[in-house]
Amino acid sequence: MIQLYNVYKSYNNTPALVDVSFIIKKGAFVFVTGPSGAGKSTLLKLLYRWESFDKGQVLVNGINVGKLKFNKLWQLRRHIGVVFQDYKLLQAKTILENVAFALEIVGADKKTIRYKAWEALKNVGLSHRKDAYPMELSGGEQQRVAIARAMVNNPKILLADEPTGNLDPEMASEVLQLFEKANIEGTTIVFATHSENILHEGNHAVITLKRGKIADTRLVV
Amino acid sequence: MRILKTTFTNIKTNKQLFFASVGTITIALSILGLFLFVYINLNSVLSFWNNQVQLIVYLEDGISEGPKKQLENIFSTHTEIASFDFVSRERAWDNFQSMFSEKSTFIKGMGFNPLPASYNLAIKESSDRLAFIQNLAKKLSDHEGVESVEYGEDWINRFETFMILMRVFLFALGALLCLGAVFIIANTVKLSVLSRKDEIDLMLLIGGTPGFIKIPFFLEGIFHGLLGAFVSLGLMKGIHLYLVNQFQGSLESFGRGMEFQFISPPFIGLIVLVSIFVGWLGSFLSLQQFLGVYKKT
Repeated sequence: MIQLYNVYKSYNNTPALVDVSFIIKKGAFVFVTGPSGAGKSTLLKLLYRWESFDKGQVLVNGINVGKLKFNKLWQLRRHIGVVFQDYKLLQAKTILENVAFALEIVGADKKTIRYKAWEALKNVGLSHRKDAYPMELSGGEQQRVAIARAMVNNPKILLADEPTGNLDPEMASEVLQLFEKANIEGTTIVFATHSENILHEGNHAVITLKRGKIADTRLVV
Repeated sequence: MRILKTTFTNIKTNKQLFFASVGTITIALSILGLFLFVYINLNSVLSFWNNQVQLIVYLEDGISEGPKKQLENIFSTHTEIASFDFVSRERAWDNFQSMFSEKSTFIKGMGFNPLPASYNLAIKESSDRLAFIQNLAKKLSDHEGVESVEYGEDWINRFETFMILMRVFLFALGALLCLGAVFIIANTVKLSVLSRKDEIDLMLLIGGTPGFIKIPFFLEGIFHGLLGAFVSLGLMKGIHLYLVNQFQGSLESFGRGMEFQFISPPFIGLIVLVSIFVGWLGSFLSLQQFLGVYKKT
């Protein structure tokens, strides 16, 4: 599903990723870990082509990411859901509208939008708060809305960039469970975190980055 | 439907900016329109004068019947000449006296007639009427018994040169004002784009097509231009109606049948088309600049 071959990326001559290669199979759940600045976010950004890379090859769902033109990026991104540490919810929209927005973007019809947005909120246990605005929710709830939004278009891959970074351990665990659920339903998950608790609780394959290089890989704890 | 909704949401979010932008475009287009208005009316004065142009062939005092006959033959053979009228020296003097004697005792007291006899030629209307008059005048001035030929050549030539200059000026002014309008719209749309940066980021992230992201902003720019065009056309129509109400009488006394012309439908269409283009170009430039940042990463 995801293949990286000898990938290099630098920012103003400062290396961010150095000779990174790995393969993630369809339906896998992989943690990417490492200290701050190790290159976790950069690695994820390469997968949905928010950043370009200097050298190497990246294949995602059979698409050669490096060769995609800007106006064709949507073809890649429609297979990928992304969840961020800071949720990135639109504050002027209700949480139902936030989830519906992802469906509008891909051109779903009104009826589908209404049904699927509500269903996605129900899956994360927030359908009763559909008319609330993000500011009225706790951090954990906001992250659940972000997951609902990322999942509503049934992506094949779900990328999570420190999604539990702002949450207390209990909420973090709840959020992790949602990713586990998505994985059981067949979604490939790449979950960047530096939390040992999450790594331990998740018990999945781990890629460890240090200063942009793969320092360690392990399949199961 | 969604695109229109997004366009109007964009406008609503930056309401003040939108009105400031439309106002500025209105002023720019009104300035251009007023010059166009002046140009069109001067042009209509020119064509009115062209229609009034008479060729007057002044004859030498001692002209015999032979050359007169020849001249009349020439007049008859040209189908472009509608009619010709012989004005004898006596008739010319009578006309002159009846026009000016009340105003000048000097004319009344003059003991001799200084005016020559002449032929007044009315020329049929046609597109090459002026060229025909110029050719005929040249031909007749060399004819035996002809003292001189007049048709207000200097005036018409001078006026035509002025109109050419006016056209160049209008074109340059139009280009400058359009450039200004593009700059204003580009900045307004840029602010609109920046205020929705989070939303655009999400659209790009989730897989919105470039068209999905750009079209509402293009429409916003076009809407700026169009609204500016309609308001300025409305203003110009108001000015036109005011001029007609207040000054039509004075214009009639200047030349019978003359009237204030409004900008013709093709020019109105051109203003609307230019405003659409200017609006689109403004949005296009600001979006190119904004999305260019994403393309580079």
